[in-house]
Amino acid sequence: MAIAALVTWIITAGFGFFMLGTWISRGGARADASSHFPPPVVFGHFLLAAAGLIVWIVYVINDATTLAWVAFVDLVVVAVIGDVLVLRWTRDRRSANGSAATGTTSDRRASTDTMTARARGLQLAEQRIPTAAVVLHGVFAVTTVVLVLLAALEVGGS
Amino acid sequence: MGETSNRAKEPASALLAGPYGHPFHPILVTVPIGAWVSSLVFDVAAHFVREPTALATGARWLIGIGVLSALAAAAVGFLDFFMIPAGTRAHRVAITHMVLNLSITVVFALDFLWRLTTVSPTSVGPLLLSALGIAALGVSGSLGGKLAYRYGVRVVDEAAQADGFLTIHASRPDSPVGSFVDEGD
Repeated sequence: MAIAALVTWIITAGFGFFMLGTWISRGGARADASSHFPPPVVFGHFLLAAAGLIVWIVYVINDATTLAWVAFVDLVVVAVIGDVLVLRWTRDRRSANGSAATGTTSDRRASTDTMTARARGLQLAEQRIPTAAVVLHGVFAVTTVVLVLLAALEVGGS
Repeated sequence: MGETSNRAKEPASALLAGPYGHPFHPILVTVPIGAWVSSLVFDVAAHFVREPTALATGARWLIGIGVLSALAAAAVGFLDFFMIPAGTRAHRVAITHMVLNLSITVVFALDFLWRLTTVSPTSVGPLLLSALGIAALGVSGSLGGKLAYRYGVRVVDEAAQADGFLTIHASRPDSPVGSFVDEGD
């Protein structure tokens, strides 16, 4: 169980790494950023998730139940912060797509260039993140939280 | 070009990656490097002492500390990596540096697990694996050095560096320090 959680955790981290990279390289963390993500929220999510992963690696080796619970509580906090980010991301995406959908597919790019207030949402750093990455990150994250809880409850072997 | 290289000088997050001109990654990497090198010293020393068990245990602990601190250093390193514009020479060096370091961390993690099963404190296998890891670490470290000293990643721009080479008198003519130097002369 602990090893399974470690594997899904690392996969989740991989997608997170990709998304964080996309967001930072598009200037999401800059002071003059075109982003609706507050940097402390993004970096808090990243830092707590990375710290939790380190705790989990120690747990896998020494099997101390306390560490499993520390990791679980940490993950719940990480998940809440992640939810805040994904809610904001979804809302911006929906409103941007809503305005873009007013044109035909062929002139969608042109309508974005006119930069109506809503279409500007597509220019946000975080909107460069593909939906697939967000969904897969979420699916593996939920799986990880469940596996970590099961390991902490000592359900099944480790 | 100036704009492009300047971006890599800035921290993604001053709090996590260190303020402008004071990156945290080079500070953090000293821990895994020190731990892993010391573990190899312990491994070698274990062959020359009467009670090698203590040194073998110490070596295993140092490898574990190295793996965990390497992950912390990596987390901060990722933030600096994301600031390097893609498609540049510096970006390619950074990718090699990152992949090599992550591989080395996996090697030491396997080294640690191997030592949990190995009975003899003077086994040569884990020692050779550590030696291999440290050799690779030297290569990877030199790439990290290239990123900082050759390409100036996370190093302040030249105008800011020049501050350090102005004489105190010339740079701060109105300051109490400046006038003190003046009087002393």
